[in-house]
Amino acid sequence: QEIALGNNQKYILGGIEVTGIKSYSEQAVIAYTELRIGQEITLPGEDISRVINKLWGLGLFSDINFYVTNIEGNTVYLELNIQEVPSLNNVKVQGIKQKKIEPILKDTELKKGKKVTESFLTNTKNYLINKYKKEGYLNTKVHIITTPDTTESSAVNMLVNIDLGEKVKVQNIGFTGNDAISAKKLRKALKNTKKIVPGRFWKKSKYISEDFKEDLVSLIDYYKENGYRDARIIEDTLAYNNDNTIDIKIKLEEGNKYYFGDIRYIGNTVYSDRLLGQLLGIKKGDTYNGVLLKKRIDDPSKPDGENIANLYQNNGYLFSQINPVEVSAINDTINFEIRILEGKPAYFNKISVTGNEKTNDHVIYRELRTKPGQLYSKENIIRTIRELSQMQFFDPEQIVPKVENPDPNSGTVDIKYELAEKGSSQIELQGGYGGGGFIGTLGLSFNNFAIKDLFNKKAYKPVPMGDGQSLALRLQASRFFQTYSFSFAEPWMGGKEPVQFSVSLSHTKQFLYDYLTGNADKDRRFNISGITVGIAKRLRVPDDYFSLSQAVSYQHYNLKNYNTALFTFGDGFSNSLAYTIALSRNSSGPNPIYPLGGNDFTITAKLSPPYSLLDNTDYKGLAEERKDAVENNDTDKIAQIDQQRFKWLEYYKVKFKGNWYTNLVDKLVLKTGVELGYLGAYNNHRGVIPFERFFVGGDGLGNYTLDGRENIQLRGYPNQSLSDNDGSIIYNKFSMELRYPLTLKQTASIYGLAFLEGGGAYNNFKNYNPFELQRSAGLGLRIFMPAFGLLGIDFGYGFDPIPGSTQPNGWETHFIIGQQF
Amino acid sequence: NEYQKVLKSEDAKLKYDLAEKFYNEGDFRRANRLFEQIAPQYIGKPQGERIIFMYANSFYQIRDYYTGGYQFERFAKSYPRSEKVEEAAFLAAKCLYLSSPKYSIDQTETHKAIEKLQLYINQYPTSENLPEANKMAQELSEKLQRKEYEIAKQYNTTRNYESSVTSFNNFLLDFPGSIYREDAMFYRFDSAYRLAINSVSYKIEERLLEAEGHYNNLKKYYPQTKYADKADAMKAEIEEQLKTVTSK
Repeated sequence: QEIALGNNQKYILGGIEVTGIKSYSEQAVIAYTELRIGQEITLPGEDISRVINKLWGLGLFSDINFYVTNIEGNTVYLELNIQEVPSLNNVKVQGIKQKKIEPILKDTELKKGKKVTESFLTNTKNYLINKYKKEGYLNTKVHIITTPDTTESSAVNMLVNIDLGEKVKVQNIGFTGNDAISAKKLRKALKNTKKIVPGRFWKKSKYISEDFKEDLVSLIDYYKENGYRDARIIEDTLAYNNDNTIDIKIKLEEGNKYYFGDIRYIGNTVYSDRLLGQLLGIKKGDTYNGVLLKKRIDDPSKPDGENIANLYQNNGYLFSQINPVEVSAINDTINFEIRILEGKPAYFNKISVTGNEKTNDHVIYRELRTKPGQLYSKENIIRTIRELSQMQFFDPEQIVPKVENPDPNSGTVDIKYELAEKGSSQIELQGGYGGGGFIGTLGLSFNNFAIKDLFNKKAYKPVPMGDGQSLALRLQASRFFQTYSFSFAEPWMGGKEPVQFSVSLSHTKQFLYDYLTGNADKDRRFNISGITVGIAKRLRVPDDYFSLSQAVSYQHYNLKNYNTALFTFGDGFSNSLAYTIALSRNSSGPNPIYPLGGNDFTITAKLSPPYSLLDNTDYKGLAEERKDAVENNDTDKIAQIDQQRFKWLEYYKVKFKGNWYTNLVDKLVLKTGVELGYLGAYNNHRGVIPFERFFVGGDGLGNYTLDGRENIQLRGYPNQSLSDNDGSIIYNKFSMELRYPLTLKQTASIYGLAFLEGGGAYNNFKNYNPFELQRSAGLGLRIFMPAFGLLGIDFGYGFDPIPGSTQPNGWETHFIIGQQF
Repeated sequence: NEYQKVLKSEDAKLKYDLAEKFYNEGDFRRANRLFEQIAPQYIGKPQGERIIFMYANSFYQIRDYYTGGYQFERFAKSYPRSEKVEEAAFLAAKCLYLSSPKYSIDQTETHKAIEKLQLYINQYPTSENLPEANKMAQELSEKLQRKEYEIAKQYNTTRNYESSVTSFNNFLLDFPGSIYREDAMFYRFDSAYRLAINSVSYKIEERLLEAEGHYNNLKKYYPQTKYADKADAMKAEIEEQLKTVTSK
C-alpha cells in the first residue's frame, strides 16, 4: 500500500515495529533510536536521517531501513528493518606457531564479540599478509573462513588459515654499470637487503620490498657521497630461482665524478665568509658530496650539531634560511652559492608551561633558560629540556617544546613547554640480611614537597607537593643498630637565586656485636647524634654547570662500655665540628637516570678547626706517654689519653670523584670514573682520628655510616673487605662501565652493564701505591622505577686476593638499592 | 542491612526505588552507588532521564566534580528536550568551575570552565543562574590573571628585569581591565628602572627613558597610586642619572 507523504509534515509517532532482529530485543533497538512514542516527528525530514546515522554509528547493523506502515490522521506508525552484523564467537588460527597466535589476535582485535563486517575481514587479511611480507615471507597466503555458529544466533566462528610458504632468501645481488665502485661496496650500502652468507647469524638474508626501496635510495646516496651526483638506477629486477631464493639485479648508471668548485656566500651580514667557510669545512677540489654539504649546512638529526643553520639559530636568527645553489658546472667542477636569508633576529615573547598538574609555576619558570625578551636561541631550548629533566619531576621522554606564533614582522616567537608529571616520591620498605642480621628499612622521600602547605589540610593529596623541596625520613633498624634520619632541602632559598638550603638531622644507636653469642650486647652501645646545615650555590664561572656548596656539621658520639681496637676510651664521648666545602660540576644528561653524555665531578674538603694549634697541649709528649702506656699494656691510661685526643675530632679530609659519559654508538654509553680520598691530621702527634674513614669493597651502599665512615663501592669483593677493620685513610678507585639500555620508558628504565674496575685502600702514605689495585670485572643490570628508585644486581669477579688471603677472591653477587651512580 | 541486600540484588526496580529514597533523604553516596548499577539499563527508557539527572547530581553532591561535570554534560546532550536541561548545563559548568585548580599549576580545566560558562551565559541569557555564572566566570578569569601576573613578577624577583618588562607588557595587553593592572604597571616600571640603573653604559640612556615612560604611564592611570612613594623616589633617581648621562 502506497502512502502519500507530505513535504516535511509533522506527525505524532504512534509506534515503531522492529523487524529483522536476531539477538537484540525490540526494546533495546528502540532505545538506541531515542525515539519516543507520542513525540512529534517530521516526515520526511532530519529526524529519521539523524536516527539512521546514529544507528550506523553504533556499528552493530549492516542494513537499516525505515518504512511507514500506517498513517491515521496525524499519527504515524513506523517499521524499522535492520540486519544485524554477526559477532565473532570462536577464532581458530592455523599455520603458525601456537605462541605467535596470541599477539596476532591482539593486534587484529580478533576476539569474542567483535562485529564481523566485510571490511573487517579484508583488513585482517591484508594486515596478516603485509605482516609476514615484512618478515620475508613473500609467498604468504591467508584464507579466512567464517561459518555461522549454531549455538548462538547472529554469531559466526572464524577459521584463519595462514600459509607462510618458505622464507624467501636472496641468493645473489648483481650490479651492472658500476665501473668506479665495486659490487662488494655497493652490496654493503644496501643496509637491509643482504644475500645469503653462511655463518652470518646476526643479519639474516631476506627480501622485503619496502626495505629494498629504501636501500636503493641509500645506494644512490652512497654514490652521491662519493662525487657521483648524477648516479641513478636504471632498473632493478627480481628473478625467482627454483630453490625458493631470488636473484636481484640492479642496473645503474654512474655518471661522472664531480668535485667542489668555488663556494660563495651571499646575503651574510652577521658572519664573515671566513667563519662560515670554516664551519662548512669543504674546500675547493674536494670530491663532490651532496649529503655532506647538506649536513654541514643543516643536520636535523643532530639538534646541537655544529653547522651553519645552528650558528644562526643559536643567535636569534629563527627566520634565517640557508640554501646551497649550484650556480655553474664547468667540466667536473661544480660551483656553489650558499644563499643566506638572515631575516630579523627573533626574541622570545611568551614563554609558557602546561601539564604541571602538581608542580607550581615558580618552581618551573625559574629553571627555564628561555626567557621573555631574550634573543631566540635553539641551544637554550635544548638546555631547558635538560634542566627540566634534571629536576626529576617530569618525564624526560615527554618534554615537548612547542614553537608558537613565530612572527617575522615583529621578530617574536612564543615557546610552550608541554610537560608530564611523573611520580617523584619514593617509598622504601625493605628487609634484608646484611651486617650479620636482619635489617629493616622504612624510607619516605618526597622530592617535590611543599613545606608551606604542611598545615593546609586541602593540600594533602596525599602529601603537600609542588614547591620542589625535598623531604626525606628514614628509619632503619636491625639487632645491632637503629638509625633515624630526617632531611629537608629547598633549592631556591628566598626565591631570588638558586641557592640551595638544606638541613639534616640524624640519630644512630649501635650495639656491640658479641662474638660469643652472635647477638647484640644491648648494654654496650655507641650513640651518634648529628645535625648538618648547608647551602649550595650554582656558579656562573667558569661555566654554569658548576656549583659550590658549603656545610657546617656537628656530631656528638657517645660510647658506653664500647671498646674496640679503635675506641680505646670505651666510656667516653667525642665531638666533631666540621666545615665542608665542595666544588662540583654536573653536565651529564639529558636523562639523569641514563646519561648519554657530559660529565660530573666533585672535589670536596672537610675540615675541623685546628684545636691542637690553640689548646697549648704537648701532643708530642702525649704521644710518647701513649707509647709507654701501650708498652705497659695500661689500657686505662690509653683510654684517658685517647679521650683527650678525640674529645674534639681534629682532621681534614679531601676527596675527588669524577665520572665521564661517552656515547659510543646508538645508546651504548661508556662511563669512566675516578675516585680518590684522603683523611689526614693537622698534628701528627695527635694522630688520625678513628672516625670518618674509608671502607673499600662491595656494593658501597651507605647503610652503615655510623661513625662518619664512607663505604666505597668495589664490586667483586665482599663489603668493606679491602680495608682494615678500622678503615683506611687513603683510597683510590678507577672504573670503566659499558651501559646499554633495554628500555627507557617512564614506567621503568632498564639497562645492562659490564664493568672493569680496580681500587685500593691504604693505611698511610708510605704504603700508598696507586698502581697496586684490587681488580675486578663483571656484569650487571639496573632497573629504575619512579616509585622504587634504583634496583640492581651485579655479578663481579675479583681477580686479586683480599687481604689475609692468597687466592683470587672470585665471584661476588651485589644487590644495589637506591644508589644512582 | 537493606542497602547491602539491594546492592547485591538483580532487581533494577528495587534499586531504583531505594536509590531515589536515599537521594531524597540526602544520602547521595549510597544513592550514587545504586544509580551507578542501574543507569546503563535505563538509558533510552522513559525513566532514564530522571535517573541520569539524579546520578549526575549525586556526583555533584558528593563533590566528585570531575565525574559530575561529565555526567551532567552527557545528560544535556542525551536529553536536549528535557526541562532540566538548563539546570544540567549550569551544573556541568559549575562542576568544571569547582574542579579548576589553584592558579599556580596547569590551568587547562580553568580554560574549559570559562568556555563552558560563557557558552551557558550566551545560551540562557535570561536564566536566574546568570549572576552566579557571571561571578564564577569572573573569578576564573581573575585566577588566570593572577597566574600571568605572578609569573611576570617572578622575573622581577629573580632579577630577569628585561623578561619581567616583556611579560608585564604582554600582561597589560592581554588583560586590559585586570584587577592587577596597577601592580603590573608599577612592577613593569620597577623592572625597567632596575634594568636601566644596572645597564651597560651604551644602553643606559635608552633604558632610562623607557623606564621614565613606564613611570608616566603609571601616574597617568593611577595618579594616587599606592606605590607613589617608591615610584617617585625611583623617578627622581632616573632624572638624576639622565642628567649625568646627557652632560657627558
